[in-house]
Amino acid sequence: MILLSIFNIFKRRKQRKKQNSQFMQKQSQTNQQNDTSGQADQLEEKYFKNKIGENIQIIMKTLGDSSDLIIRKLELPTEQPIQAAIIMIDGLINGRTVNENIIHSLISNEKTIREADRNKIFDVIEKKVLSVTAAESVYDWNTFFDSLLSGETLILIDGYKKVLATKTSGGEKRQITPPETEVSIRGPRDAFTESLNTNVALIRRRIKNPHLWLETLTVGKVNKNKIGIMYINGIANDKIVREVKKRIKRIDTDSIIESGEIEQFIEERTYTFFPTVFQTERPDVVAANLLEGRVAVLVSGSPFVLTVPALFIEFFQAADDYSTRFDISAAIRILRILVFFISLVAPATYVAITTFHQEMIPTILIITIAAQREAVPFPAFVEAFIMEITFEILREAGVRLPRTIGQAVSIVGALVIGQAAVEAGIVSPAMVIVVAITAIASFATPSFSVAISIRLIRFILMFLAAFIGFYGMISGLMFMTLHLCSLRSYGVPYMSPLAPAMMKNLGDTLIRMPTWAKNIRPKLISQKNIKRQGNEQPPSPRNN
Amino acid sequence: MAMENAKIDRLQFFVLIVLFETGTSLVIGLGIGAGRDAWIAIMAGASLGCLLFLVYWQLHRYYPGDIITGYIPKITGKWIGIPLSYIYIIYFLYLASRVLRDFGELVLTFSYPETPLFIINSIMILLIIYGVIKGIETLARTGELNLIVIYFLAFTGIFLLLASDVIVFDRMRPVLEYGIKPIIKTVANETLYVPFGELVVFSCIFPYLNDTKKARTIGILAILTSGINLSLTMLLNILSIGITVVENSPFPLLATVQEISVANFLERIDVFFLVALFIGAFFKISIFLYAAVTGLANLFHLQSHREITFPFGVIILILSMIIASNFAEHILEGLDVVPIYFHLPMQVIIPILLFMIAYVKNRSKKKNSENLLPGQQSSRSSGNETTVSGE
Repeated sequence: MILLSIFNIFKRRKQRKKQNSQFMQKQSQTNQQNDTSGQADQLEEKYFKNKIGENIQIIMKTLGDSSDLIIRKLELPTEQPIQAAIIMIDGLINGRTVNENIIHSLISNEKTIREADRNKIFDVIEKKVLSVTAAESVYDWNTFFDSLLSGETLILIDGYKKVLATKTSGGEKRQITPPETEVSIRGPRDAFTESLNTNVALIRRRIKNPHLWLETLTVGKVNKNKIGIMYINGIANDKIVREVKKRIKRIDTDSIIESGEIEQFIEERTYTFFPTVFQTERPDVVAANLLEGRVAVLVSGSPFVLTVPALFIEFFQAADDYSTRFDISAAIRILRILVFFISLVAPATYVAITTFHQEMIPTILIITIAAQREAVPFPAFVEAFIMEITFEILREAGVRLPRTIGQAVSIVGALVIGQAAVEAGIVSPAMVIVVAITAIASFATPSFSVAISIRLIRFILMFLAAFIGFYGMISGLMFMTLHLCSLRSYGVPYMSPLAPAMMKNLGDTLIRMPTWAKNIRPKLISQKNIKRQGNEQPPSPRNN
Repeated sequence: MAMENAKIDRLQFFVLIVLFETGTSLVIGLGIGAGRDAWIAIMAGASLGCLLFLVYWQLHRYYPGDIITGYIPKITGKWIGIPLSYIYIIYFLYLASRVLRDFGELVLTFSYPETPLFIINSIMILLIIYGVIKGIETLARTGELNLIVIYFLAFTGIFLLLASDVIVFDRMRPVLEYGIKPIIKTVANETLYVPFGELVVFSCIFPYLNDTKKARTIGILAILTSGINLSLTMLLNILSIGITVVENSPFPLLATVQEISVANFLERIDVFFLVALFIGAFFKISIFLYAAVTGLANLFHLQSHREITFPFGVIILILSMIIASNFAEHILEGLDVVPIYFHLPMQVIIPILLFMIAYVKNRSKKKNSENLLPGQQSSRSSGNETTVSGE
């Protein structure tokens, strides 16, 4: 009876929760309606006016007469001259294209224009006069401003309720440079830039296949950023593609500036230390991921491209693993896993051993360590904590500092962390070694986003080790494993192909098998069309 | 139905059984009643355990969509079935708390003599609650990763034992010193129930299998694998430290691991022992708790087992503390009371009775359905399953 009543309470509470959440939803909906009414994504007028003067007035008013707005007025030389205007934004356009292919064409093709019928002048200009790559008609102000602000040049003609938009985007762009965060020894040297078009082109150059599809969405009510979704139709899993689109379309925000913001909207779970979306600045990595059936999300203005679904092991696969011979890269892959564990548990192990399990290290070593720690006034945990925090501060400072000062900081840091701290009797020399190994190990993880989560987990493990030694550490690691195994990225278990084990996909995990052995794509990602290559390809003297 | 929308594959099923069986049995002196021949007693227990497993599996095949608390009322009727289901749930909770107590005491002896048992146990149970709330799929995947760890530790350990030169093969002789009787007695009193008969708890996990065809073979394979593992471990214990030490030590494996000494550097790798113990206990308690809470959720018609996992985890924690006033009492209970009054009826007698009733019921059902649909002979085997689960 008592149990039953308890369960009734549970049920009732649940219902109440439901009611509450429904109420909240209603409220938030009404709030939203109120909010959006006064925002910058509304235009007063919807359609163009007949008279060109009024239209220009509207443009100037809407843009607040911004000084980078260029309005070039001209007269079309028909029998009764027609007023026209060319509208563009300075800096977003390619000046040469506008000069040569629009203005010059309009002025020099006097004969064609003069002979044209007054009613057909719009079509004549579009089809016979302009020599630009793309031109299309625009019928409403929304599209007008979208085109104008993404670098198109618009031609207004008096008497028409439509406008001609010509593709002239250009302006200053950053060059394609070598990648900065994912350096490789062997492999391509180009990295993504901030331009969406350039990035798409970099990927397309690597996959010359008509089934590589690009879908562009606009996200951000105020800043209207362009998001590209790329996948290979027929290899990518349709469900995942649909899910990506759904999650991106669901985003209701004023602005998206960097792909990291999109990541936080479309990732699987927020409350986790581990990234469930993969990001990279290397086009070759994105191309390889697309070929495995993943979906790429490109954000205009960000040199980092996201790919989903992301697997845990993916963050240990560096780009040049695949261009190195297999025995070397297999060994290096194992080294990386080892490094992952070292950077995770090294300081915690030090704390656990010196606090709880002194008997576990050989006697001579423990005597040495004990002698060193004699002068240190803190418990091992505090000692380790001080050193790790100091190191994190130095690292954070090193990231933000201008390069010229960076040198000085690293010298100061080396002195603080090393010699001086020991001589001052704040830490023991053994601790310095542990911190140094941890630091180097955490830099050896190819992916920054996992390295940064290790940094956080390391502190938790240190605390657990200080609390209850190895038992605490093992509990912490077990919790981490449970958590990792419970994660999914777009429906794909995060730890696959390790758990659940996929025998045929294990060749690219803890070790990397030779390229000719990679016969199938990751099973859970692609699900259909998983055959990659023929079976009989191992090189041998007989084959040649 | 309180079932999770989860599926586990063949490998995961295998892994869960092996981890569950190996569990804490790996570290205690399993089957030590048979003296030097403990390893034979373990293998014999495993073989008989396979038969018990077949009984549990066949019960599941009669009611493929149901866990144990679902099919007991269907077999025996409401008035006996529901109380019996409650008894099974209490049995699972009790066994979980026994394992937790074992584990806690072991960790204390291992290297935390001054830490309260409560702290050790509560850390463990919190982890287990987290795992059980995350569901059987997560547990199975974690199991796959952890089994690799266990085997890695085992092979390293064996290699280091060989390198330390402590293994003396004469220590296992004479085989069958006192004849076959002590072995039979040990099997009937200990090794059949713990760990092999405890597989009755898997009745709550069978319905999640996505491939039922080979599951029976996989299950038997897993039982035999874990039997071999356990028996080899016991043999290694006897070979490295001798039967006298094994008999007198509460945790022979710990004593064995402490024998390792290679090049005066690799000494006292006790942490291996702790890791193996931790993983084993974690999976054993998790599966017990999972079975108990899914069984209860099923009886109460709850949407999911998640909301009752935490309270019942805490119940296990408290039970593990009050179950015995000290470790000696706990062990004595485990040896004298539990096998005969709990294990024997819950693992052997009741399942076999249930099986017999279910067999008769299903045969008459089958006949009925044949009489009703004389033309559909071909769908006989699947037909009886659907009629039963449609009740």
